[in-house]
Amino acid sequence: MRAAASRMKWWLIATFGLLLAVPALASAAEEFDPAEEFEVGSYIPIDLGFIDLSINKAVLYMLVSSAIIILFGVFVVRGGLKMKPNKAQNVLEISYEFAEQQIAGVTLPERVFTKWFPYLATLFLFVAVNNLISFIPLPTAPHTDTFQVVGDLGLYAATANINVTLALALMTFVAFLWEGFGTHGFVGYFKTLIPPGSSKGITPFIFVLELLSQVLRLVSLSVRLFANMLAGHLLIIMAAGFSILVGSLLGVLGIPFAVFFYVFEWVLVAGLQAFIFALLSGIYIGYAAQSEH
Amino acid sequence: MALEGNIVDASKALTLGLATGLGAIGPGIGVGYIFGKTVESVARQPELRGDLLSITFLGLALTEAITFYALLMGFVAFFLV
Repeated sequence: MRAAASRMKWWLIATFGLLLAVPALASAAEEFDPAEEFEVGSYIPIDLGFIDLSINKAVLYMLVSSAIIILFGVFVVRGGLKMKPNKAQNVLEISYEFAEQQIAGVTLPERVFTKWFPYLATLFLFVAVNNLISFIPLPTAPHTDTFQVVGDLGLYAATANINVTLALALMTFVAFLWEGFGTHGFVGYFKTLIPPGSSKGITPFIFVLELLSQVLRLVSLSVRLFANMLAGHLLIIMAAGFSILVGSLLGVLGIPFAVFFYVFEWVLVAGLQAFIFALLSGIYIGYAAQSEH
Repeated sequence: MALEGNIVDASKALTLGLATGLGAIGPGIGVGYIFGKTVESVARQPELRGDLLSITFLGLALTEAITFYALLMGFVAFFLV
């Protein structure tokens, strides 16, 4: 039993390695551009002049992840919740408890818990599912006219797009400003930026620094998720196609590194970055909602 | 002896390498420090392991993000200039 399980594990690793090598061999005929993964051509162009609402690759992946979350939740609950949970209900319960206790329970004060817990849980699930499905090769390259079933398989993370992460970070920004202005009043919120007991001379500097750090929360929140996903995918693709980039056959030594990095990213970084995004949002909102008096 | 070659491509490659390397120094030290302190604390009070672990991962992600700021600028210089 043990020998069979470990043999299957090695077969799986070998298959993964081979799968990662296939795109490198296949694109030997054309240009190998690692940044090509991040082109979001539009499938259904909806251009309204001042705003571009076309359905492109990022929108498609976001729709797919939303559909996964919604349909999973609806169908597991509709099947009847049992006292002894089956596997699907277990997954639902674990993700709900995780969001309730580890994210919202740690960061939000009691007063605003029911108000902001759905937002944090949705944020966590949305970012987590988007990160996780980004490692499944799908035929969604936009430079082909239709979806080819056997064609250009590619990885893509919707959260590797700065527009997506910036939109999510903007929602958190508005949320914690809303809570801050609601709890302290408009002028009172800026008064909380000044720590008590600071001398008259240094207060303007501290105020400017605190204001800057509050605005920089938006930048750091979005760039953290964006850069993590972007760098992860780029490193995997560049390592897998290393023999093409270097131009010699010795570059196939990059493939084990690509496999290791792929497993590392999928298992650890995808979920961790979602958890961090939701946790930091909770910390900002919870901190703003605390009335210090 | 004059050097041949495209100086733009050379500087792009140099920028990417420098950005990645230099940007990994500080966070490397930081992440090691975080986990070292965690090991120390768990050795002192093993019953706090769960709570300490979640704070550790929070610190890990915040520190790790700083490597990516530098790596991002390297990518911008490499692919977008």
